[in-house]
Amino acid sequence: MIRTFLRQETTLSRFLGVVVLTAVTLAITIVLPPVADSELAGGAAIAIVILGLSWLIGWSGQISLGNSGFMAVGAYAAGIWAHHHATTPLIFTLFLATVAGAISGLIIAIPSTRLRGPYLAGMTLAFSAAVTPIAQNFTSVTGGEGGLFMNSLATPGWFGHFFSGPNATINANAQWTADLAVFVAGITFFFMANLFHSRTGRAMRLVRDNDVAAELMGVNLSRTRSLAFMIAAAYAGLGGALYSLLQASVRPETFPLTLSITLLTLMVLGGIGTLSGAVIGGIIFSFSANLVAHVNSLTGVNPTSNLGANMQGIIFGALLILTMLFVPRGLVSIKTPVRRLFRSRHQVVEAGEVH
Amino acid sequence: MIIVEDLSVNYGAVRALRDVSFEAPTGQITAVLGANGAGKTTLLRTISGLVTPKSGTVHFGEQLLIGLATENIARLGVGHVPEGRGVIEELTVEENLRLGALSRKVDIASGLADQYARFPVLGERRKKLCSTLSGGERQMLAMARALIAKPRVLLLDEPSLGLAPQITAQLMKTIHELCESEHLTVILVEQNAKSALRIAHSAVVLHLGSAVASGDAASVAANDDLRRYYLGVAVE
Amino acid sequence: MSAFLSSSIMHNIFGGVAQGVVYSLVALSLVIIWQSTHVLNFAQGAMAMFATYVGMTEIDRGIGYWWCVIISVAVGMLLGGLTERVLIRPLYGKPEINPIVVMVGFLGVLEALAAAIWTSTTRNITEPFSQIFFHDHGNLVYLSPFIIYQVILALGIMLIIAGLFRYTKLGLQLRASALAPEVSRLLGIRVSRMLTIGWILSAGVGAIAAVIQASGSFGLFPTDMDGIFVAGFIAAAVGGLESPIGAVAGGLLIGLAEQFILAYWSPNVAPLGGIIILVVALMIRPQGLFTKVAGRRV
Repeated sequence: MIRTFLRQETTLSRFLGVVVLTAVTLAITIVLPPVADSELAGGAAIAIVILGLSWLIGWSGQISLGNSGFMAVGAYAAGIWAHHHATTPLIFTLFLATVAGAISGLIIAIPSTRLRGPYLAGMTLAFSAAVTPIAQNFTSVTGGEGGLFMNSLATPGWFGHFFSGPNATINANAQWTADLAVFVAGITFFFMANLFHSRTGRAMRLVRDNDVAAELMGVNLSRTRSLAFMIAAAYAGLGGALYSLLQASVRPETFPLTLSITLLTLMVLGGIGTLSGAVIGGIIFSFSANLVAHVNSLTGVNPTSNLGANMQGIIFGALLILTMLFVPRGLVSIKTPVRRLFRSRHQVVEAGEVH
Repeated sequence: MIIVEDLSVNYGAVRALRDVSFEAPTGQITAVLGANGAGKTTLLRTISGLVTPKSGTVHFGEQLLIGLATENIARLGVGHVPEGRGVIEELTVEENLRLGALSRKVDIASGLADQYARFPVLGERRKKLCSTLSGGERQMLAMARALIAKPRVLLLDEPSLGLAPQITAQLMKTIHELCESEHLTVILVEQNAKSALRIAHSAVVLHLGSAVASGDAASVAANDDLRRYYLGVAVE
Repeated sequence: MSAFLSSSIMHNIFGGVAQGVVYSLVALSLVIIWQSTHVLNFAQGAMAMFATYVGMTEIDRGIGYWWCVIISVAVGMLLGGLTERVLIRPLYGKPEINPIVVMVGFLGVLEALAAAIWTSTTRNITEPFSQIFFHDHGNLVYLSPFIIYQVILALGIMLIIAGLFRYTKLGLQLRASALAPEVSRLLGIRVSRMLTIGWILSAGVGAIAAVIQASGSFGLFPTDMDGIFVAGFIAAAVGGLESPIGAVAGGLLIGLAEQFILAYWSPNVAPLGGIIILVVALMIRPQGLFTKVAGRRV
């Protein structure tokens, strides 16, 4: 039934599809223990970022290694504002982060739209590599090494009433953050689903596949490409802010270059240019800590040793390489009956530049 | 000589060549004719090893070519001037020529001298980037580059493409002279059947991947059916 | 003269050149790999770092500086060749985004692996030449034998590489293999061998860059080469991916820009030096830097 809904091309069906999926996920959060809830929340935030990246690389064909930078912009925007205006409603903070992300996306896009392939990748790499030093250096604004604290995720009273017992507060907080993150993610997924089907989405794909034809049809290449960047950056900013809110702080080390690599890995693993791919990526992220611990115990590695501490980097890097070599379209493209159930109509068949 | 036996090539579901067989005798020009899409270029690319056939063989004398890497086939003395000439634009004329001489044990200095003597225009423009060359000049360069390696077999893919009639005539004359003087085995793929048949000793006609006729050039040229259906030449 | 040499401007020029030389070498390695394979190796910095770390562990065993260099370069070359065979080979003919992503993944693996094997600390190699600045008539000139050695080394390598590509048979084959692989094969050139050689050369030069960085006053930290790679990349892009000389000039330019920004504007902005140059270059050439990123032509 879900499949039927997703297959249809109307906004209403997409809306219902997203609503159902969100409801299911919310139900899952109730069942999960608080620790898993927090991880899920993080995964939801990352899923938003991955979706934006997937859109950029898969649909507009522009490779970006800089999305951790956009996350940082959103997170710091939220953090700096919250620092000075402690009582801002959450919605406003998130909105601010999204806008900040979009603006930074536009700024990066301006010199970048004429760049192709490795040059574009290099440009975005330069951006995300510069973020950490800048955050560290401009201490007065960004709080330097220590970063900023963010406290906007206080659980509202009405929500807390549902919880009782000895661990009520912990449960309530974990539940609230998870539900909030999932809810926000649901909204962003809905927008993206519409975007895929809109004229803008089709224009993106045309520009990606055949820019000469696009120009002949009157599509403004630079503007379309810049728009793609802005949207991706907006998503990253929102996801970044959410991510930092979940950790209650934003610091320079929160967004290193390796995060960009992780994002790329998750996106490729899940499946470029698809909604389900982003969901898969987010889920994998949620469990990545467990995954790494699992691998450590399987191979007998001491988690506090050098090897153990860096296992995550090794695993994710290796995963990216292996996926790209063997399953470039991601897990979404693996044809099993279970996969079919979840494969969204919105899958980009000739997914960008990945075959 | 080159012997092609029951060669079949598939591109996915498309059968580009079906059981094609013919011989290109040593020291002679064998024309391969047919309309666009007939499989002529595929045939040359298979001989050169760029394409792997589904079945069938290609022999160069006693040597089986199927399964050898392209660069090794070239080193055996099979020169291939591809469709579009394959002149490397970012390099100079002389650099392109030098490239041709690298893989075979030839003396580069005398090789260059020979080609400049044969094609004086190339000598004049030897230091120029190939992007500045005209179509006819590129064809000359592509030929010279193949010849400098002192090949025993020359595969020519539509050398007259895009050239004016006078230049085409000159080109065909040159190919004929080369074949005589160097005792080359030439396989000449052409859409321009008339000019090819004038210098060829024998011909094979391809149609949708199959060899529909072969024989000496004169009889192929005279065959009205062939001329009408496959060569696009009006019956006069 | 001595007052001039020890002036603040010269101080900054020398400083900029000293750092710029490292960028130049990275840029040079990227030019090599671009000219011979039309692939951009995003893991170049990480590979160089890894090779240098291997060399540095050998130093702990008591061998001399020059052996460390030789080992690092050798390991770098080996790594380069292996990477081409194992990771890049399967990707020929696929979209150009694939090798980029694979190399980015490789970058992550190498850095994590280095940190795992050798811990996340800065390591140093004792310099072969004194790093003590000269004194001219009592004034401090911010040049040392070490800096001079760096510059000579970089220029020397640049000349060798430029000469290789332009004047030798090998260089011609390398270029042809990248520009027109299929045609090259028809001419009998062993293209796949050329591609591997390109990677080996490139990795060797990159390793030298990392070795110089490690011998300098700041040593080498696993993620240091990220910033250096980015600067090297920008230098190569600005200077011209087809031109070894342009790459070296670009590297020096970025080194100087960073130094001058640090000295005259604000130390906070210095990491942005490279990006600023990139943006400026784009403004001068608004049609983009070499937008004809020529795909692998036949």
